[in-house]
Amino acid sequence: MTSTQWARFQVFVQAKSGEPHQDVGSVHAPDAELALLNARDVFARRPECVSMWVVPASAIYAKTAEEIQNLSSAPDGKSEMQPATPETYYVACKYKQAGTQIMAGSVEAASPSLALVKAIEKNSGGMPALVWWVFPARLVTQSDPAEVDSLYAPARDKGFRMSTDFHTHTAMRELKVQG
Amino acid sequence: MNSLYQYLLALADDELILGHRDSEWCGHAPILEEDIAFANLALDEIGHANLWFGLLAEIEAQDPLAYSDQLVFFREPGDYRNIQMVELPNGDWAFTTLRQYLFDSAELVRLEALSQSQHAPLAGIAAKIVKEERYHHRHTSAWVRRLGLGTAESRRRMQKALDQLWSYTGEIFSPLENEGDLVSAGIVPDPAMLQSAWLARVSPYLQESSLSIPGEPPQALRRTEHTPHLKVLLSEMQSVARSESGVQW
Repeated sequence: MTSTQWARFQVFVQAKSGEPHQDVGSVHAPDAELALLNARDVFARRPECVSMWVVPASAIYAKTAEEIQNLSSAPDGKSEMQPATPETYYVACKYKQAGTQIMAGSVEAASPSLALVKAIEKNSGGMPALVWWVFPARLVTQSDPAEVDSLYAPARDKGFRMSTDFHTHTAMRELKVQG
Repeated sequence: MNSLYQYLLALADDELILGHRDSEWCGHAPILEEDIAFANLALDEIGHANLWFGLLAEIEAQDPLAYSDQLVFFREPGDYRNIQMVELPNGDWAFTTLRQYLFDSAELVRLEALSQSQHAPLAGIAAKIVKEERYHHRHTSAWVRRLGLGTAESRRRMQKALDQLWSYTGEIFSPLENEGDLVSAGIVPDPAMLQSAWLARVSPYLQESSLSIPGEPPQALRRTEHTPHLKVLLSEMQSVARSESGVQW
C-alpha cells in the first residue's frame, strides 16, 4: 500500500540572534517551502523566533552516545559503499536527557558517518553529548531574513503568549487555594 | 454616519466574517498542520477586525470593548458591511484556499496603500496588519500554485472554485458612498487604482497556476446587500452573547 502521509521535516528555531538553532519538533509537508510555512504556524506563532530551519527527517543521521560506544570501534565510515564528494554537514547535539538537539557547528565530510566521526573528534574535550545528529547542509531550507518581519515579528505583540495570560489559569489557582 | 466610519466598518466586517469562516475549519481541515494554520489565520483576521473596531470606538468616543461587542454581537445581517465573498460557506478546501488567496492579495494591495494614509491612526493600524497579511498571502499563494498545478482532481476543484468566486470579486474594491471625499483628502487610496494593482498581481499568478479567469465580468454588488448565508453565520456567532447579555467572561 502506498503511504499517503507527507514527508516529515525536523524544525530548528533560533529564538534570538546569536543563539544556536534548536530542534523544536517536526511537521509533515509535501515540500520544504510548505514545511517552513507549516513550521511557522506550529512552532513560532507565540514563541520568540528570528530564524527557522527545516530539514527532511530522513536526511538526519542520528546516533546516541551509547550506540557509538557499543560499536566495536568508533564508526569509521568504511562501510559506506560509495564515498561521495565531501560536503558540509551540520551537527546538532543533545547534552541533557530532557533537552533538545542544539546546533553545534558544521564539518566537511564525504558521508554522514564520516561527518559524525569528524564531529566527535572536533568535540573532544568539550561537553559530552548524549545524542548526535548530522545532516547535509544542502538539504536544509532556511527562512528568508527578509521575511522575519511578516513571519515571526508579529508574535511579539500578541496577547496570550504566556499561560498566565489566560484568566482560566488564575481561576483554577483560586479554586485550588480555596480548597 | 460619515464616510470614514463606513469605510472602516467595511474593513472590519470583511476581516470578522472571513475570520469566522476560517475558524469553522478548526478540527476539520484536511491535515493537522493546515488545521493549525487556519486557526491562526482566523485569530489574525479577527484580531485585525478588532483593531478596526477599536478605531471606530475611538472615533465615536466609546469604550472599545463594549463598542466592539455591540457591533459584533448585536447588529442584524442588514447592518453588516462585509463583501458577499467572505460570507459564502467554506465549500471544499480548494474553495477555501482560493477565496483566502483572492482576499489576502486584495488586503495586501489595500493595506500597503492605507499605511501611507494621511489619517495617522488608520495608517498605523494598516502598517501593523500588513505584516501578517504578507504572511497570509505567502501561505495561501503557495497552496494555490500547488493545487492548481497538482493533480487533475485538484486542478478541477480549483477551476470550479475560481468560476464560482470570480463574479464576487468585483465587490472588493467597489466604491462606497462618498468614498471619493476620502480619496481626495488622501485618507484612502483610489479604489480603481487598487483594483488594477490587484488584477495585475492575481491574473498572471492564477494563469501560472494553470487556472483560467472566467470571461464574464464580476457582478456589481453592494455591501448593503447580503446572501442568506450571512444570517446563518451570524445566528451561530451571536447566539451565546445574545442568550446571556451582559455576562462577564
